[in-house]
Amino acid sequence: MTSLIAAQLINGVAIGMLYALTAFGLSIIKGLLNVPNFAHGAFFAVGAYVCYAADRAGMPFAVSLLLAFLVPAVLGVLVERLGVSRLMNSPYLYQLLFLFGTALVMEQLIIIIWGSVGLSMSPPAFLEGAFDLGFTYLPRYLVFNGCMAALTIMAVYLLIERTRIGSQIRAGIDKREMAQCLGIDVGRLITAGFGLGSGLAGLSGGLVLPLLGANATMGADMMAIAFVVLVIGGLGSIYGAIAAGILVGVIQSVSTVFVPAASTVLIYVAMIVTLTIRPQGLFGER
Amino acid sequence: MESLENPLRRALLKAGTAALGTSITGLSWAQSSGDALTMGVLSQNTGTFAYTGDLVLKGAKLAIEERGGSIQGRKINLIVRDDEGKPAVGVRRLTEAVASDKLKYFGGNFSSAVGLAELEVAKTEKVVQFAAGGSEDFTGSRCSPYTFQWSAHAYTALRATLEYVRQRMPDKKKIYTITADYVFGQSLLHYTQVAAKELGLELVGNDNHPSGERQYTQYFTKALSTRPDIICLLTSGADAVSAVRQFNSFGAKNVQLVGPWTLEVEQMRELSPAMRTGMILGLNYYHEIDSPVNKAFVQAYTKAYKAVPSYASAYGYDSFRTLLLAMDKAKSVEVDAVVKALEGMQYDSVFGPTTMDARTHQSIRPYYVIECKAPEAMKDESDFATIVATGTTPQPPELNECKRTA
Repeated sequence: MTSLIAAQLINGVAIGMLYALTAFGLSIIKGLLNVPNFAHGAFFAVGAYVCYAADRAGMPFAVSLLLAFLVPAVLGVLVERLGVSRLMNSPYLYQLLFLFGTALVMEQLIIIIWGSVGLSMSPPAFLEGAFDLGFTYLPRYLVFNGCMAALTIMAVYLLIERTRIGSQIRAGIDKREMAQCLGIDVGRLITAGFGLGSGLAGLSGGLVLPLLGANATMGADMMAIAFVVLVIGGLGSIYGAIAAGILVGVIQSVSTVFVPAASTVLIYVAMIVTLTIRPQGLFGER
Repeated sequence: MESLENPLRRALLKAGTAALGTSITGLSWAQSSGDALTMGVLSQNTGTFAYTGDLVLKGAKLAIEERGGSIQGRKINLIVRDDEGKPAVGVRRLTEAVASDKLKYFGGNFSSAVGLAELEVAKTEKVVQFAAGGSEDFTGSRCSPYTFQWSAHAYTALRATLEYVRQRMPDKKKIYTITADYVFGQSLLHYTQVAAKELGLELVGNDNHPSGERQYTQYFTKALSTRPDIICLLTSGADAVSAVRQFNSFGAKNVQLVGPWTLEVEQMRELSPAMRTGMILGLNYYHEIDSPVNKAFVQAYTKAYKAVPSYASAYGYDSFRTLLLAMDKAKSVEVDAVVKALEGMQYDSVFGPTTMDARTHQSIRPYYVIECKAPEAMKDESDFATIVATGTTPQPPELNECKRTA
């Protein structure tokens, strides 16, 4: 039993890192805009499809992943510049509706371009197979996924904490008016943050492609989990999403040992419990 | 102002109602329902099994077109309703169709949960249902004078698949099952237990997963820790596709993946050939079935739709074709006469010689076991697999819970 729980813990951390990466991008955008990005799942799906298309075009896996980040990031910049920024002074609901509509348009475009039948891609040969831990197997690709997500989060952490633009992003999230008074172009920061968050969603989509495949509605499935992670981590905390992502992955994985049929519902129970005990989330501030 | 607004509102309401009507009606050979016979397809155009709605309809249309759109001198009015894969919506749509369109016969449903809910309406309203879900209840505890089952019985399916596995891999005996936690999955699990016991196979564990699950590595981590010889997926649709992809990432080549009722042609397309290579699957229908009716059907379907037919389209075609054959036999389109004709009817279907059990209304037909081909062995994109076995063992009578008498 101990070895089984250990195996599920490792598995949970690996899938939790992916949840964390997806929710991290969502958290950055939420922090900058103060609006949940309802199109985040669609950027996730675009990332998966771009990765698939690049792979089919014969590009190396690393390049496919890079494109899975860049294309949604550029799309995110366009969506922010052409739509969200123009609605900045409109009521909150207008931005929500715009983002929701954008998600629907992107889903339909995916169907028009790639069709409604789901697509699959095998991991690169050197990532196929599993590590034999003696008591169970751990897929190499899942380990790679977890490591890639961790490295990406680390890189974004360094960008935000150790660079000038990062400090401006933090200022934009924490004290927007003050940042504007100090001459920081908050509008550009928001655009950059939106692009970064969308790119992270796309990269997540590319990373999960060999595990989940690609289909037009895959974003909606991931959005539900990303929002749970965001709420558990705390809506005002960009790093809360990381801890909460891992927590959700571990809950989902370890609960399979005891109550497999309830493994998905338990993550929603965790969200309700968090909201009841600590409404601002584990790392959020009131 | 008031007098101008009301006619406008009324006109808009009329236009809206007309638009709604158009959106839920597929086609009809007789626009006026005067003396036409109304038949219907109740299936999913939205939801988890959204892909099936159009396929069932395509099959049903072919069966009716073969008859020139009429039967026993009556024009056929074919209506289509989307139940969204939800039992409550299915019941509502069926009740409305019976009341407003005078529906007498319907194909419904690809989903067991929806089909079983519709079974009760069919019984109350005395209309004929041709079902296709995997639940044994259609012809078991909830058998009804008005419901007939097109799909094979879950026992036949599990027995055929596991029997082949037993013969093909005599050394592999330990099975771990991963089961969809709803009526279909539990029915398969029950008969996996029955068939495994009969065949001397050992079940070393089972996990139920919720419908719509997309993350399966935790189930496989647990399953593989028991060192099974075989993992048996008792799930279907998009859930099964995700599960196969993630099993593939484990690279556990010494563990055989078996899907007794798991992937249809539509889902096989979603997997890369390398992912499905060597998988052993049980199928209700495969386009390479060697029977005269099937060959003609495949030819007509391929010509009409530029694709090979699948389970959903074969169900649409064969169930409607069977109903029309029963009307010929009864020389009538009246429900009671057609039900009587169907009971015990022997006919040639896409499966070859087929019998409709008079008491349970279970179609006695073969179930097919296929082995998926390696990419280099495929002749074309639709050449997914080879039929390696067929099973015809019916459910043992002592296991059947139907209380009807023949």
